[in-house]
Amino acid sequence: MMNDFILFLPEFYFTIAALIYFGLSLKKTSEPWALQKWALTLAGIGLIVTVAASRQQGMLFFDCYRVDLFSQVFKVLLAMGTFWIIFSSSELRGIDGRQHAEYYFLMFICTLAMMMLVSSVELLTIYVAIELSSYSLYLMVPMRRNADEFSETGVKYFMIGVTASAMMLFGISLLFGATHTTYVSQIITKLPALFGQPVAIVGLVLALAGFFFKLAVFPFHIWAPDVYQGSANQVTAYIATASKMAAAALIIRFSALSMGASHELVNFLIVICVLSMTFGNLVAIIQKDIKRLLAYSSIAHAGYMLMGILALDGRGYAAAIYYAMAYLVMNYACFMVIMKIADDGHNLQIKELAGLHKRSPLLAMTLMMGLFGLAGIPPTAGFTGKFLVFAAAVEKGYLWLAIVGMINATISLYYYLIVIKAAYLLKPVQELPAIRIDRWTHAMSLILVALMVYLGVFPDQFVNITEAAAKSLF
Amino acid sequence: MTGFPILTAILMSTVFGLLTILLIPPERTKLVKQVSMFWATVGLILTLWLYFNFDHSKGGLQFVERVLWVKSLGIYWFHGVDGINMPMLLLTAVVLFTGVWTMWELEYRAKEFFALMFLLVAGVYGMFLSMDLFWMFVWYDVSLFPMYPLISIWGGTRKEYGAMKLTLYLLAGSALILPAIIYAWVQGGAITFDLFELQKIGFSLLDQKILFVMLYLGFGILAAVWPFHTWSPVGHVAAPTAVSMIHAGVLMKLGAYGILRIGMTLCPQGLGYWSDLMALLACIGIVYGALVGLAQTDLKYVIGYSSVSHMGMVGLGLATMTVSGINGAVFQMFAHGVMTALFFSSVGYIYDRTHTKMIPELGGMSKTMPIASAFFIIAALAGIGVPLMASFWAELLVFIAAVQVFPVGGIFAMVGLIISALFMLRVVQRTFYGERNEKFGHIPDVSPFLAVPRIILIGVILFFGFFPKVMLDVIQSAVIPFVGSF
Repeated sequence: MMNDFILFLPEFYFTIAALIYFGLSLKKTSEPWALQKWALTLAGIGLIVTVAASRQQGMLFFDCYRVDLFSQVFKVLLAMGTFWIIFSSSELRGIDGRQHAEYYFLMFICTLAMMMLVSSVELLTIYVAIELSSYSLYLMVPMRRNADEFSETGVKYFMIGVTASAMMLFGISLLFGATHTTYVSQIITKLPALFGQPVAIVGLVLALAGFFFKLAVFPFHIWAPDVYQGSANQVTAYIATASKMAAAALIIRFSALSMGASHELVNFLIVICVLSMTFGNLVAIIQKDIKRLLAYSSIAHAGYMLMGILALDGRGYAAAIYYAMAYLVMNYACFMVIMKIADDGHNLQIKELAGLHKRSPLLAMTLMMGLFGLAGIPPTAGFTGKFLVFAAAVEKGYLWLAIVGMINATISLYYYLIVIKAAYLLKPVQELPAIRIDRWTHAMSLILVALMVYLGVFPDQFVNITEAAAKSLF
Repeated sequence: MTGFPILTAILMSTVFGLLTILLIPPERTKLVKQVSMFWATVGLILTLWLYFNFDHSKGGLQFVERVLWVKSLGIYWFHGVDGINMPMLLLTAVVLFTGVWTMWELEYRAKEFFALMFLLVAGVYGMFLSMDLFWMFVWYDVSLFPMYPLISIWGGTRKEYGAMKLTLYLLAGSALILPAIIYAWVQGGAITFDLFELQKIGFSLLDQKILFVMLYLGFGILAAVWPFHTWSPVGHVAAPTAVSMIHAGVLMKLGAYGILRIGMTLCPQGLGYWSDLMALLACIGIVYGALVGLAQTDLKYVIGYSSVSHMGMVGLGLATMTVSGINGAVFQMFAHGVMTALFFSSVGYIYDRTHTKMIPELGGMSKTMPIASAFFIIAALAGIGVPLMASFWAELLVFIAAVQVFPVGGIFAMVGLIISALFMLRVVQRTFYGERNEKFGHIPDVSPFLAVPRIILIGVILFFGFFPKVMLDVIQSAVIPFVGSF
């Protein structure tokens, strides 16, 4: 019993954190900075707890819930993402003061749900976890000062999200019908024999469609640009980093179901992967709002991640996990800079970055490294991630896919360079004051830059972890 | 690995340079330059030491450092020098040293400039030193992307257009290189990125054909192979002086080096299959570069197109697959690098003072600034291939090989050379002789301090022009066994 408790420790901890903030949300007024400080402390301890539990292994709740290296790696990433987002929340100036406690409450709940998601190995548990995380996000997205301006966003996200859930539920029911079980491990053994029947493929694809919605893969991406633009910067950052991790984990776990047997599934994944990369990158070129730009770039990055997944073997999953890890760091670096520049919570336009290198050289450098990382320029983590997913794809014989991926990386470089150009080259229309950053942000910028380079140059130990994590999938 | 890792030390001299520059407050430009100069000198001294301790009678890979880097993929931190990359290292060290010196007058955002320059050169050194495909690609890309800020911040004519065009072209090239490298790794059993182990494993003819053409096109873009050269004159014209020097002098050589080191080492039969195409494109490049150069009125465009022509010579030498052809190609890479650096360095001086590089506006410059003019004229003579200049021997070797292997192409190349002599002399005549433009009459000539880097470059050109054996012995020690392995 005690052992089970330790297995569930990170989730348990985040439940308590959420409850504390539920209690705080009942109070009428509270200081924004105090709320942030305590949330940060809780998230920090949460990160430590998650790391401490990272070597645990075992099954829980009638084998619905599996704690293994794969799930624990993603839990660490989720806890880290949550910690980082709260860290750079800038006292949530983009959100009405009365909603701050609820915001943290929902964020902890959402993190908890996503942690459960990466551990679930039973279809109904997966469904419940995914809905729990989705509903917290449905509530977080419309939280914003002047919400009327962006009222469409929340409704759109909700409607599309619910539709995706319906598709997923339908897919799950088909899988259940075909295999007579909801346990993933049993489906694994029964499914390869059923690939001759359309029902198995349709079931798997529909279930995956629900997850693709979370990851914002083309053609399930339409919510992403509007939600990115319409949500408060902190919420966008949270959706773009932490929630992407959970979606990636889920897709990896589910693809591992097919055991590399299904040709149709691979073709489906290839089509989605190519479309996602190409569409995301091409549309990103014309964006003016930096959050929209990052939304389209995230669609493209989901495509790159799929390239690793569609290899459907250990190396491919390991590459995808590494890519997710690198993406978390790089994307957070970009969002941290955005949150700091748009301190009052407005939507940042690319041209507002003009003169950033003078206003804050450090933030400009962090942004540049983050964007170069996203573009896949060595020696950053982004390059090594791309390298690994391409290697996994070429190993399976998809040389042309790697070429398409690299061409896409070149296209993406164009719009990342536009942003970098704005930060380093453009003269601002009127002289803007220097951006003052506190020493914590200063330290965080340096840590992020160092981390991006370190992950890129010394990938050995990280590759080992991801490969071990991928092994624990089977 | 025994003893002091000198190759890593050379590479790290630029990385340390970069890091120390980053620590200096931006307003202390003088200190930035001194620190840059210091690290460039360290790199130069180490490289010179290496060059004179390189045993060319023994040949082969020397000063080898090899450490396993990523176990599960088989990536190695693997450095070594042989007769092919030794001249390239020397070239890089000389051009960096003179480049930093040439930019001594820079005041605008000097810290960032020198930091980026060191990052660029770190990539160049790394690419030349590494014998591991993964690291080669990493360093190759590291050397490319600093070009964007370097050109777009400190550049001149149409800088933003030039910078974007150059960056996208070159990275499009790496879109072919990376898949090719991964493909080679997979075909070699997905166990090692070590170049020589992959060479030992060997590839089937079909794989060699696929790999070679991917690598050739990918690296060929950087080597300004016609018709992928269009980024090069535009980029050169837009770039500030030291960046043009490093870029035309060293960076373009990375392309040719990549074809030679990766493409030809791994796929000799692939080269055999594609050599006609390679020779054809090279010859077109030689003649085309010379002809287009004739029509230019901008001094930097002239040099840009002459570079296309000269890099064609390198391609032609490689395509012959003979000892003298490859010898000539490697020597030409070195000679052209030093020469172009001198070209851009002298044009840079003239441009900084007169704020024009249009030939019709200049005129009679030899009366206004005789020393600066002398530098340019010497570079032009080297470009034409006048005897007793380093490039003379290089071009001679390439022609000897080319006429034997591709008689028609070789003759075309010679015609191209004559045209380029014609246009160079015409440029010299119109820019430096004739009617003097009084508008620039008051401008002082090159100060002794700023003349030093140019004189060093001239010294190098003449030294290897008089004593080509010093270089050829080194090159040959690698090329003869290399050609023997085909």
